[in-house]
Amino acid sequence: MNKEIFKEFDGYSKVVEERDYSRKYGLDYSAPKDSADSFIQRLHPKRLNLRVSEIIPETPMAKTLRLVSPDRCLPPFLAGQYVALFLEVNGIRTSRPYSLSSPPNQTGYYDLTVRRVEGGLVSNYLLDDLKRGGFLQSSGPEGHFYFNPLFHDRTMVLLAGGSGITPFMSMIREVVECGLDREIFLFYGNRNLQEAIFHNTLQDLSGRFTNFYYVPVIEDPPEGYRGQTGLISGTLIKNTLGRLANKTFYLCGPQAMYDYCSSELEGLEIPRRKIRKEVYGPPNDITRAPNWPVEISREQRFQITIKGRESIEVKAVEPLAASLEKREILLPTICRSGECSQCRVKILSGKVYQPAGALVRRSDRRFGYVHACVSYPLEDLEIMV
Amino acid sequence: MESYDVVVIGAGNGGLTASATLAQKGLKVLLLERHNIPGGCATSFCRGRFEFEVALHQLSGVGTPESPGPLRMMFSQLGILEELELVEIKDLYHVIGPGDFRIDLKPDREQVVAAFQEKFPDEKDGIERFFNLSYQYAFQMLSAFYFKDPDPSREKFPLLYQYSFKTAQEVLDDFFRDPLLKCALSLYWGFLGLPPSRLSFAYLALLFFTYIELKPFHIKGGSQTLSNVLIQRFLSQGGTVRFGCGAEKILVGQGRVSGVITESGDQIKTGYVISNISPVATYTSLIDPENVPERVFQEMRGRSLSPSAFTLFIGFDREAHELGLTGSMTFFPNHTDITDKNLVDMQRLEMAHPFMAMSCYDLADPGFSPPGTCQASVVTLKYGEPWMRVAPAQYHQEKFRCAEAMLQRLDAAFPGIRGHIEEIEVATPLTHMRYLGHPNGAIYGFEQYTKDSMFFQPGRTSPVGGLSFASGWMGDCGFQPTLQAGVSAARAIIRELEGK
Repeated sequence: MNKEIFKEFDGYSKVVEERDYSRKYGLDYSAPKDSADSFIQRLHPKRLNLRVSEIIPETPMAKTLRLVSPDRCLPPFLAGQYVALFLEVNGIRTSRPYSLSSPPNQTGYYDLTVRRVEGGLVSNYLLDDLKRGGFLQSSGPEGHFYFNPLFHDRTMVLLAGGSGITPFMSMIREVVECGLDREIFLFYGNRNLQEAIFHNTLQDLSGRFTNFYYVPVIEDPPEGYRGQTGLISGTLIKNTLGRLANKTFYLCGPQAMYDYCSSELEGLEIPRRKIRKEVYGPPNDITRAPNWPVEISREQRFQITIKGRESIEVKAVEPLAASLEKREILLPTICRSGECSQCRVKILSGKVYQPAGALVRRSDRRFGYVHACVSYPLEDLEIMV
Repeated sequence: MESYDVVVIGAGNGGLTASATLAQKGLKVLLLERHNIPGGCATSFCRGRFEFEVALHQLSGVGTPESPGPLRMMFSQLGILEELELVEIKDLYHVIGPGDFRIDLKPDREQVVAAFQEKFPDEKDGIERFFNLSYQYAFQMLSAFYFKDPDPSREKFPLLYQYSFKTAQEVLDDFFRDPLLKCALSLYWGFLGLPPSRLSFAYLALLFFTYIELKPFHIKGGSQTLSNVLIQRFLSQGGTVRFGCGAEKILVGQGRVSGVITESGDQIKTGYVISNISPVATYTSLIDPENVPERVFQEMRGRSLSPSAFTLFIGFDREAHELGLTGSMTFFPNHTDITDKNLVDMQRLEMAHPFMAMSCYDLADPGFSPPGTCQASVVTLKYGEPWMRVAPAQYHQEKFRCAEAMLQRLDAAFPGIRGHIEEIEVATPLTHMRYLGHPNGAIYGFEQYTKDSMFFQPGRTSPVGGLSFASGWMGDCGFQPTLQAGVSAARAIIRELEGK
């Protein structure tokens, strides 16, 4: 069509007039202030620079790192969320998620409470080598493990195991410090009382605030111990709480505790929507995970070819993301638990093992995408990063 | 230095179809996507046992296998039709409210007319005439522009000449008296972001026409499936995609694109760039100011940013029918105002009278959520600007407060539904800003006022040689238009290269 017939449509000149006025009095989009990316950094920074302002010993195994920002306001977070630390240890650039243990009403610093992991690359570095005044880099606050006022009950039942206490510490502090209209029951499982991080603080708070109940549960009690012992069982939960209705349950701890407590809660007929679970990293020993092929031993190694790049040899029992970063192939993983999908890679050939619970989209499964932080090679692979 | 025929920036709808079209032609294409997943808006995310659809409500333009629409033909040409399961949606839309008002519409002209006539017997005649007009207008529009009539005239296309620059409200006011009828007839305005007082009648007529004649569709697995299928097609044709890697700079020399620098610092030589990101970001962040002709910003000055969205993604631990959900697409008007008052509502954080719509995908595709569950996305339109003024420390509180107001409305329509929430995620205009990178989180790009829409759209070209655009920013917004925009942008480059 040669002629622009719309110029003959009824009302054309009025539309043009309006357009010309708009151009005269409109917005100047060339101004850089309009950048969406720079604005959103206030809430969701790509990276935060943090300085260690204090190191607070908690237990023989754990310390709290108090982190301040030298160059900006710390972004807000919800009690229960985590940040990922990005760091280089022994020449390996890696990342680790840590829940914030300080409450969100404390806007001056973030506390990360770190417990020693046997042979743990990052935890040992943070506990032994990092000094006051040292610098760290982190992600912004992330994660979906928090009190959601839209559908959670005002009575929160927290089930913690070991260092799984950290997100709960943030929640508890917020509730008592801000005088929130909520009630908290905390069941905190540890091997012995010495390992229970924040034990004294928790006892103190439970004495001072009528809406906070603290139940330490000790697996190997010393002779004559009078508190709760064993594991956080359904019976213990039921006896402590009485009525189970109108309560939301939150779980954070190691895999063994999840497995145990989940089935205990199921036994109490707690509906699934009332149970919130924090993601907690890959299992320590993947060969003991359900459906791990027996023929693949702990020593087994496979060849991984990265499309368009090199080929490397990796351990079957190590998550792909960890194997890759040892060879300086960095995936921007944040959660390291299969949830954030930042380490999504495509498997071009070969089989991988993915433990249940990795949140992989259906169409990603169809086309062979996996989350490398919780994927283990079961044969030689070719992958696209 | 690496060299590509074309670099496509952004793997949204337009970027994906552009890349797939170019690769199919044998061109060497690099697709850059700063996120770890393709799709832009056409994506999903997982929470608990749910995978939530982000943006696609009713795919238009598909048509049935017997009478295919432009999108089905496009999927076929791209070689991906067999890879997609396209599910016809049996509802046009349901309306709940204001008050006791209810109407269920099917994508069937006779049913729609009869349903409205039953509810508004006094305006029987007007309803018939309104749909006649909408259809005839659509026919004339298609004849003149889609089928490119060689000699169009006022005599041939009187309605086109008469109605193209009228607003939907002007036409509704001409035809009807009852404000409730006018409201219920124009609820699709939410798909375009402008209330009937500002929306071109043309858009409303075309929406009714396409949705009724070509039917609304759902893609099995959600829009992420389409995005992944397109990437797969692109890869299998030899295309290169880099996730987690956006563009840092478009290099321009002597008024022409000469290359791209990626976020990871790689310098790429190319003569063509298709930008699937906003023109605002393209011209202000990627190209050095001395290479941007002044008229680019002059032309943009007249435009305003569309609203963003405030969305609840909800997973329920019951199936849809157990919760009383019956409509795959439901609107919840709580007033009958179709005037500029709606613009004012969208400019406030206040949730008292917002436009609200809900998609329940499980009703179109029973396997969409795990057995025994269903999901809904409940959405209202809100401009981003007021959200940008919320202090960061107040952000979460404000987000929950607004979500609470919407949940209360949902629970009023479906009593007890709140008691079955298993997962919920809230997206605010700032969330859209974060993931789309659009200024003010504008989900529909620039607003589609008559002065900026259809005939007045800037189109995909740029005064910078070799640069073109494929997105809802430069043409119509929505899935069908943006998917088509990518193919058009790619074909223009192919034509230019073949002409050389």
